[in-house]
Amino acid sequence: MASKPQALTSIGPMRAFASNSKKISTELIQINENLMEFNKLVTEYYKQLSETWSEAQKKVNLKAPDVPHDTEQMESFKRIWIDIFDNDYTELFDSEKFGENYGKLVSKELELTKHWNNISNVILQSANLPSKEEIDEVYKEIHALKKRVTKLEIELKKKRDTKNEGNIKK
Amino acid sequence: MKSESKFDPKIMEELIKFGKNIMDAPKLVSAPDEISLEVTPHDIVQKIDKTRLLHYRSLTEKQYKTPLLISYALINRYHILDIQPEKSWVRNLLLQGFDVYMLDWGTPTSMDKYLDFDDYVNGYLDSSVEFIKDETSTEKISVQGYCTGATIATAYASLHPESVKNYIATAPVIDGWRDTTVISNLAKHMDVDKMVEIIGNMPPEFMYYCFSVLKPFEQGIEKYVNFFKNIENKKFVDNFLRVEKWLGDTPPIPGELFRQWIKDIYQDNLLIQNKMYVGGSHIDLKKIDMPLFTQVAVGDHLVSPECSMPLHYAVGSEDKTLKMYPTGHVGMIASSLSQNKVLPELGKWLAERS
Repeated sequence: MASKPQALTSIGPMRAFASNSKKISTELIQINENLMEFNKLVTEYYKQLSETWSEAQKKVNLKAPDVPHDTEQMESFKRIWIDIFDNDYTELFDSEKFGENYGKLVSKELELTKHWNNISNVILQSANLPSKEEIDEVYKEIHALKKRVTKLEIELKKKRDTKNEGNIKK
Repeated sequence: MKSESKFDPKIMEELIKFGKNIMDAPKLVSAPDEISLEVTPHDIVQKIDKTRLLHYRSLTEKQYKTPLLISYALINRYHILDIQPEKSWVRNLLLQGFDVYMLDWGTPTSMDKYLDFDDYVNGYLDSSVEFIKDETSTEKISVQGYCTGATIATAYASLHPESVKNYIATAPVIDGWRDTTVISNLAKHMDVDKMVEIIGNMPPEFMYYCFSVLKPFEQGIEKYVNFFKNIENKKFVDNFLRVEKWLGDTPPIPGELFRQWIKDIYQDNLLIQNKMYVGGSHIDLKKIDMPLFTQVAVGDHLVSPECSMPLHYAVGSEDKTLKMYPTGHVGMIASSLSQNKVLPELGKWLAERS
């Protein structure tokens, strides 16, 4: 009963607009929180890359301290530089610390995408369009139906083949 | 006192030449869309959903009786096996007298996110095998799987041994825990459930990231320096552009298939432990009892030899061969080494069994 006066004031679609705004602002707040965590992980990501760069450059300086003077020396310097950098970076990408941070970073990026999807869903529904979940349901149903049809076709083919073999024997 | 400069003027000459080559590149190099990757003539003999079964036209008067179906990887597209006439895997096999079919997985879209291992193994691959059997009036055919295509083909050979006469596993992804590559490290730390739930299919951009962490300086700098140095070498440029075009064209991987692949192969390593299920059926590697030819590249930085070799020891086949080559993942299938060593050895083995 108490909602009646409120319903009277919110005329038609404007009521949905109010509730949609609330949903969108909740998502935006969560995006903001996620962004803070995402930034921490992205900072760690670039820190790992830049530390590896510094270490690799130190190794290059130790192995090739002189400035190359001719084309042959230049070529060997380039080879040393590439080999050391490739080895050090491969070691980094192969490490537990990189894998773990990268995994969390991608996961956080996915959470941000999920909030964006949620906002899109609110907008889609306000425009009377199906949400992502609803479309996914349709895809799932189509997939299941296709599988059933394929199985039935295979069974039908087997039956036809058996019948044909029977006819040939007769 | 006059200081003597030890700087070799040739360095400057080379730098000027290099700069000139960069400036000349647009005049000498074709645009990617001007390059066709369809090299060896073929017919599309079957289409199911987005997949296509290609049948290559024979290049010899006589062919071996048993046809060969290639199950290409899920990453990038089949063109690398037919990248140019001189380095074409397919063309070489045709010239050796084999009847070659290729399964193109196509480009899945959002609506294909529910396609799973079962659809690929018992659906697309099985339908192709059945089609070829009908078309060629044979009871069994030879199957070759490359990279992740070999994971699918391995599951198929275990579930349908009655249809496979010979199985060739080229750099197969089998034992995820033994894989020492960067890819496997990233896969082990991935929240694949979240990725599939939120994004659906595995996006190509993620694969491009994975490529970028593989030898980033050799592949990201040296490769392009060499390209500009050789800009006047038509053959080099043509080959370079073909491979680059191929590298830049990887389709998405259907979400459910990607989920099971990451979990069952890299995270839980179920395939090699004989604990994997596809469409409710148990994958027992011991049921692979047909002749097996496993090809492994020692320098493979996408699928390490330790990841591929366990297949050789896990199967039930008595007639089995393991070959190791001093090259990389792509070098094994599209290089002079593949033409001069890998393919002749495979052809000899296959001819004796076809």
